[in-house]
Amino acid sequence: MHRIEIEAEINLMNENRRYARENRKILRENGAVAVNIMGAIGSGKTLLIEKTVEMLGDVKIGVILGDVVCSADYSRISKYDVCARAINTGKECHLDAHLIHETLKMMSGLDLILIENVGNLVCPVDFDLGENFRVVIVSVTEGDDVVEKHPEIFRLADVIIINKIGLAEYVDADVDKMERDARKLNEKAKIIKMDLKLNAGLGEWIEFLRGVLDVSRNSGRSCRT
Amino acid sequence: MSFALMILENVLRMAEENGARAVKKIRVEVGELLMVNPDQLEFCFRAISKNTPAENADLEIETLKAKSLCQSCGSELDSVHSRCSCGGWMEIRGGKEIVLRRIEMEVEDAQDRN
Repeated sequence: MHRIEIEAEINLMNENRRYARENRKILRENGAVAVNIMGAIGSGKTLLIEKTVEMLGDVKIGVILGDVVCSADYSRISKYDVCARAINTGKECHLDAHLIHETLKMMSGLDLILIENVGNLVCPVDFDLGENFRVVIVSVTEGDDVVEKHPEIFRLADVIIINKIGLAEYVDADVDKMERDARKLNEKAKIIKMDLKLNAGLGEWIEFLRGVLDVSRNSGRSCRT
Repeated sequence: MSFALMILENVLRMAEENGARAVKKIRVEVGELLMVNPDQLEFCFRAISKNTPAENADLEIETLKAKSLCQSCGSELDSVHSRCSCGGWMEIRGGKEIVLRRIEMEVEDAQDRN
């Protein structure tokens, strides 16, 4: 019996990066824009998708719903006239590029693909799906320190949505503090204060998506390469 | 858990390729921005490596720092910043990798097999 030492030098994130590049290529070829929507359980991810689908009736939309086990979110979305696909991640707490790869390949002829990640503010951050934009949605009911407690997901977001602002006074949450924390972590992100139940802030979100879709249409390719 | 699984899958593949009977030591480097707690990573690894050749391996985990590079003046800082003192935007480099650096394993000699 003898010992050997092997210099492995394997970057374990490379496999995900490879699939993310493939996914980006598929999106570019199909002329679609993909948005990765991340947020905690109950932050409003599914409702944001429902409202988006309702307000963008003229846009061909696909929705990928990641969930640990059940298909409740899928049931909510599949009643709309959109191409909806559910992905159960099993024991995994996030989607990764490989998990959505086969689904993306089947989603052609669409303008916009909304990807609902698993409800979690930590794990989804590390897995590039090949998306064009990253959105993180938080609600005031998670506590107004939720942004400073999870810096990485806000640092890498293109859009930060602070939801349920109508409930702020009932849960002692300071919306301006949440906005300041988000801005401190990410100077470039678009920050939208929203209340999905009251349809507040939705116009700004839809305007953002329309802008992105216009750029994609005019350039014949999606924005982040 | 998914990082522990990625490590174990690669370690077991390399152990099999080299005909190893047991894995003795594994060195992993984890970027600080992955926010992985080394104790938790080790706990998950211990749980899933039971009854495999990597069961009793020492798992050495080192944290890799991220850097910020200014897009305007080119200065580099050893921590995460979005703005440089010159006012330029900073790009974050590194800190997101997880590298399986080195594996030490016990391999049977030819005479052991006879």
